[in-house]
Amino acid sequence: MTELIQNDHEASLHQSSDYLETFKPRAMDWTAAKTFAIKNLRIALRYPANILVWGFLPILWFAPYILMATAVGGLETTAHFTEISGYGDFIQFVVIGWFVYMYLDNSIWGIGNNFRWEQFSGTLEPLFTTPVPRISILLGAAFSDTVQGTVQALILFGISTTMFGASYAITAILPTIIILLVMVIGLYGFGFMLAALILVFKDPSVLSELVSETSYMISPVNYPINALPRPVQFAAYMIPTTIGIITIREIAITGAWNLLSFSQALIALGALAVLFWIIGLACFQFAENWTKQRGHMGGF
Amino acid sequence: MEQEQNTLFQKMWKRKGYRAELRAASALAIKQWQVEFSYPLSVLWFIVMPFLWFIPLILVGTAVAGGPSSATLDGLVGTSDWITYIALGSSYTGLAISLMWGTGFAMRREQNAGTLETLMTTPMRRDTLVWGSMLHNLQHGGLGVILQLAASILLFGVTLDWWGIIPALMIVGLSVIGMQGLIFTIVCIVLTAKQGWMIVEFLSSTLLLVAPISYPIAVLPSVLQYLSIVSPLTWSVEGFRGFLMNGIAYSGAFNAVMALIILDIVFVIVGGLLFKYTESYVRKKGALSQF
Repeated sequence: MTELIQNDHEASLHQSSDYLETFKPRAMDWTAAKTFAIKNLRIALRYPANILVWGFLPILWFAPYILMATAVGGLETTAHFTEISGYGDFIQFVVIGWFVYMYLDNSIWGIGNNFRWEQFSGTLEPLFTTPVPRISILLGAAFSDTVQGTVQALILFGISTTMFGASYAITAILPTIIILLVMVIGLYGFGFMLAALILVFKDPSVLSELVSETSYMISPVNYPINALPRPVQFAAYMIPTTIGIITIREIAITGAWNLLSFSQALIALGALAVLFWIIGLACFQFAENWTKQRGHMGGF
Repeated sequence: MEQEQNTLFQKMWKRKGYRAELRAASALAIKQWQVEFSYPLSVLWFIVMPFLWFIPLILVGTAVAGGPSSATLDGLVGTSDWITYIALGSSYTGLAISLMWGTGFAMRREQNAGTLETLMTTPMRRDTLVWGSMLHNLQHGGLGVILQLAASILLFGVTLDWWGIIPALMIVGLSVIGMQGLIFTIVCIVLTAKQGWMIVEFLSSTLLLVAPISYPIAVLPSVLQYLSIVSPLTWSVEGFRGFLMNGIAYSGAFNAVMALIILDIVFVIVGGLLFKYTESYVRKKGALSQF
């Protein structure tokens, strides 16, 4: 028996040394990213109450705005709202805002908090000693968040359209998917920045709340962008979801797909994606070195 | 030295009575302030939080109403000043959220930090842990209310009836008792479900949805109106805002106070019993420090 165990141990040592001998550092390890994403999704599914978050919570978050608009402006959309937004249905306007915002919310609460969770579980330091590029770990976390965000956004959209009777142009599906794809890539960079901040500042609840509430406040989710003061509008356009919300809303509500403005939106989103990836990865590298040098990686 | 430690130890075990529990609760509240201040971002969050919740409501109101008054709201609640109505309602939200989340998750935080079992072995009543955290969050949330009200008066022209401040504080006092019953329930969820934040988020979001924070309950579907009536948060917000807007002439004072007293009794009894049962169940299961 002891001999068998010893043989197994030797075989496994031999295998691992083979792995280490043939190991070559890579710029990107897709298998590691996939494994990390699957692990995160498994953990998410392990807690069945997640279904409450994915499915119904967003309805409870945006319903108060609809009820408030009803209390202040009446059952019909007011002339003032139509004048400043260009749309004649407040509910139709808001549902699209929340649908796209779900992706931003997930990128804020997801990637960075993944690392905090690893820290609480005592697995952050071992994770950072694995011979995989950091970008694989970050992307793995981002992929799992995108899956969760998409499920959440689709459930929200389905329930909202059924409950409030909001309808949209079917021709908007393809342009919406294209815009969402580019926007999500930009949001990954945004998420990397937050992950870096969480490595340094540790407490994700406060930091994520701060970023989440600020970005929500300046995003045109419940009101048109021109309801904000000019300098705030500029800051709002620096968040990838702002262009996403405005473009998808226009196509989904009017059904009109203007190729020029659509291309402009895609180019702007692409530029933001490049910018956020550069800043995000640089921030993360800096934060990792900073915490390692101070021995703060597993600290609370 | 050893003798001194033994005397202290014996003194600790002999401690009993409400004053001793109050001292323990106060120590827990101070400890939580120290923890919060050790995270610099917590301080920033504490200052900006009330505005980040309030400003989107103001922006939606402005986009919909187009001015500082609303005839629709006047028809529903008898005031057209929607900014004051929402500012006072939402200022109370900060306190409610602080109580529900801060206190409800106090045990989870200790659990994550690995100090829950140690705290449970200290010679104090188990529920003092929850009351201590509630004391901290009452101070934390209370300061937030003051901050938001001051900013609303200075920046948005909100007007208060100063005679209503003391009755409004009495409403807060009654509200805290009822909310404590709710908090005990939240603690039970946290202790048994571990990753119970999702259930708590669902529960608190439902309570906030049915509370008349930025709209009167008349605009809610009838099923939700029934739910709203049995929530202590509803009567707390109504009473708090009613007194601050109308002073002692607030016409709904009797209803708000009576409803809060009845709900306080029900919620504290049910919440207290639930906590007692859950805490003993979790300890028997040996699951206190499990994630």
